[in-house]
Amino acid sequence: MAASQSQPRLSAASLASLPSWSVPLGGVVLIALLPELGLSLPDQRQVILIAILTLLVSGLNLSLGYAGQLALGQPAIYAVGAYVSGYLGAHGHTNILLQLAAAMAACLLIGVITGVPGLRLGSWSLAMVSFGLILLVPDVTAMLGSQTGGALGLSGIETPTIFGAQISAHGLYVIAVVATGLWLGFLRNTIRSRFGPEFVMIRETPILAASLGTPIYRHKVLAYALGSVPAGVAGCLYANLQQFVSPETFDLTLAIAILAASILGGRRSIYGAIAGAVILQLGPLEATSFQSYSTVAYGAFIILGSLVLPQGLAGIADWLGERASRSVGPRAERAPSAARPSADAAAGYTTGDDRQAPASLEIVGVSKSFGGALALDDVSVSFKAGEITALIGPNGSGKTTLLNVISGFYLPNGGQVSMEGKALPLGRSESVARAGVARTFQTAQIPSGLSVLDTVRTGAYMNYRCSLVSTVVRSPRFRRNRRAAALAAEEALALVELTVPDAEDASSLPLGTRRMVEVARAAAARPKVLLLDEAASGLDGLELERLGDILRKLSAAGITVVIVEHNLEFVFSLVDRVCVLSRGRVVFSGTPADAAEDPIVRAEYLGSIEAPVQVNTADSARGQEATANAD
Amino acid sequence: MASTVTLIIAGLALGAIYALVATGYSIVYLASESFNFAHSQLMVAGAFVAYEMLAVAKAPAALAILATVACVAVLAVIEERVAIRLVKDPHTQLLTTIGVATLLGGVCTVIWGDEPLFVPPIVGSQAVNVFGGNVTPTDIALIALAIAVTGFVMLLVKRTRAGLAILAIAEDPEAARLVGVNNRALVLGAFAFSGAIAGLAGLFMAPQTFAVVSSGQTLSIQGFVAAALGGFGSIPGGLIGGFATGIISEVVIRYAGGVYANTVVLALLLTFLLIKPSGLFGRLQERVV
Repeated sequence: MAASQSQPRLSAASLASLPSWSVPLGGVVLIALLPELGLSLPDQRQVILIAILTLLVSGLNLSLGYAGQLALGQPAIYAVGAYVSGYLGAHGHTNILLQLAAAMAACLLIGVITGVPGLRLGSWSLAMVSFGLILLVPDVTAMLGSQTGGALGLSGIETPTIFGAQISAHGLYVIAVVATGLWLGFLRNTIRSRFGPEFVMIRETPILAASLGTPIYRHKVLAYALGSVPAGVAGCLYANLQQFVSPETFDLTLAIAILAASILGGRRSIYGAIAGAVILQLGPLEATSFQSYSTVAYGAFIILGSLVLPQGLAGIADWLGERASRSVGPRAERAPSAARPSADAAAGYTTGDDRQAPASLEIVGVSKSFGGALALDDVSVSFKAGEITALIGPNGSGKTTLLNVISGFYLPNGGQVSMEGKALPLGRSESVARAGVARTFQTAQIPSGLSVLDTVRTGAYMNYRCSLVSTVVRSPRFRRNRRAAALAAEEALALVELTVPDAEDASSLPLGTRRMVEVARAAAARPKVLLLDEAASGLDGLELERLGDILRKLSAAGITVVIVEHNLEFVFSLVDRVCVLSRGRVVFSGTPADAAEDPIVRAEYLGSIEAPVQVNTADSARGQEATANAD
Repeated sequence: MASTVTLIIAGLALGAIYALVATGYSIVYLASESFNFAHSQLMVAGAFVAYEMLAVAKAPAALAILATVACVAVLAVIEERVAIRLVKDPHTQLLTTIGVATLLGGVCTVIWGDEPLFVPPIVGSQAVNVFGGNVTPTDIALIALAIAVTGFVMLLVKRTRAGLAILAIAEDPEAARLVGVNNRALVLGAFAFSGAIAGLAGLFMAPQTFAVVSSGQTLSIQGFVAAALGGFGSIPGGLIGGFATGIISEVVIRYAGGVYANTVVLALLLTFLLIKPSGLFGRLQERVV
């Protein structure tokens, strides 16, 4: 579904018209056929070693580059794969398919066992836990000395077989290339689905990810555990290539080399792992004279590479491709997306399940304190379906805190929140999102590196999930969901009438446009309740008008809209109902007209200002944005 | 009884080293929310400087301490300038600090090789009798150092402006900046201070661990276990966590054998992360939108 995600673009127009998978597939076939074209046996062996390193690096990329979790322990997982395969091979189970299955299963298991606890504490905790696994390799092989050969290594591994026939050196070459190709295809199909943008959000804007119902912790474990699987394949290939496994292969130096290759190739790229592996295998890993200085060089490169080359060689390739495609001429996808049907854009939001019954959000007796400070004091308020309610009040009055309690970011000390009569889970943002509560943020949360279209699609993903297996094989269900999510995103984009191209990088847009993208993303979730936290701040007059129109359409479609806003002119012209908070308490709830007349409201909030219409300007709202974190 | 005392003291001494690693992690973490992967390698660098001073130059103890502390503090400051200040996001900082650890280890190997080098203790080597157990002065010195450093850091954090500012940053970096806390100077100061502690720790641990590059790897893990057990970012937690890890290691080594020590400690870490990720003295913060 994320077809427009960044990838090396081909400059030649004829190549660009081919499906994006055809070039990598052709590459794999070509490499697999190289021996027929005269590739010598020593060179074949070198390619197998490159394939092994590619698998190890690629597994790290999935976890580190995409999900942002550093898995330093690839060598240890690799060791598990090698020892499992080697043990089987030394005990007469020479079928390489059986060995591969066993190695992958064992590595996945280790990945889950270490990932589930390892990911519970900050991103460094997984790094340390997995790093610890490397230290265990010599210890565990010593403990299981009779099975592993201990420090002397595991020997007596028989020649592998497939379907009963012995595998020649050439055969192992083909298996290594095909297995690596299959893994890369698996990775590609995983990343170019909802998983890719979801990983980006988890890495860059975890709060946003939670508000869109992305299972953050599960995705992290998934990325890390899945990244262990290619290490298992690599281990099996290694054991059968060397027919000998010894513990010192799987040391810290290898971990550092894998990390360096990942950074070099580009840790957020699918095929960059190959480039990193080729360079490391043919360069430092070959040169024995380099040995004593290798750690110095690796260390210096890891620092420099992460500083000046964050996207590695793949990033450079992307950049070159981009330039080439620009010089060829304006591409169709760079033009503004005018083809979109804009007539009655809100149509998609009116249909739905029994919207006749007024869906409403009910808050009863909610209190929340931080340390000694009472941010919400027994707040009870209800928001009606099909209405726009403004939540106003001075800074620190608890508006954002209330939104955070509703959307599950804060666990209240007491009270209840229910939607359509059903209690919302408190303090569980992912479940709240999935129940139908969408929101925007005070500071627009737009992760970098996603196009406008991909960003808006992330809003729709939670309604169109399908399993990883389904995703990877591109099942009919996956294709159906992909279309549906794309359609929801299209409708949402039509609703906000964005004038920028869909392929534009969303995070680099001007603030006003980013806010519109946020609203579109929230609308793409087809929510029952939409919470907007200062969505109008930083918008100019025209944009304000448009935001007002959008919110009216959404509320007309039966959505409960709640907006926290400082721009009172905008609020009073838009909303059906006003709820005024002061020092954590509801001091007024009623129509805007009544609010303007209410003495308490005037005293508490409007202060000395004569008429609310004067309390407006985007500047004052913007100024408040900076300090409103204390809310 | 005598052997039990020896076991416990040995465990406490080992744990003291782990606690010193954990304290280094915590100081930097509190001030900058970054994890300094290279901290244990800084301690090892301290051990090498101590080797040069004590074993090669035969310098007096006071001079050796001064040189070691100064050298490692400077290394830590350089690390902060290169690997922390130039990098904004903590994910990349983890990578750059790993780079620093690797580079530092590599440079030490080039200069001093990878054979363990003996460093004479500055507190004497005559074993003393404590409750019937044989104990080296180095062990006692390490335990005393860990307790003293923990106490000193706790005092600093609670009693000085810099300490309070660090607490403010740890609580809410945004708000701290708004009230005028100079974040950058504090992060630099935290690195310099943790480097000074690493130098001191390296000098005191060297007679026991020897000066050898590979010990940095084990120390970084054991120090992390100590910090996680005690609660990440908790200074007294790191001391308790370190002592616990040290004693458990010694008990396993004594009764099951050396090869089981790392495995048991890592299993303990996984169990703790699963059941109580906030550690014994840590607290989990609520997310802020």
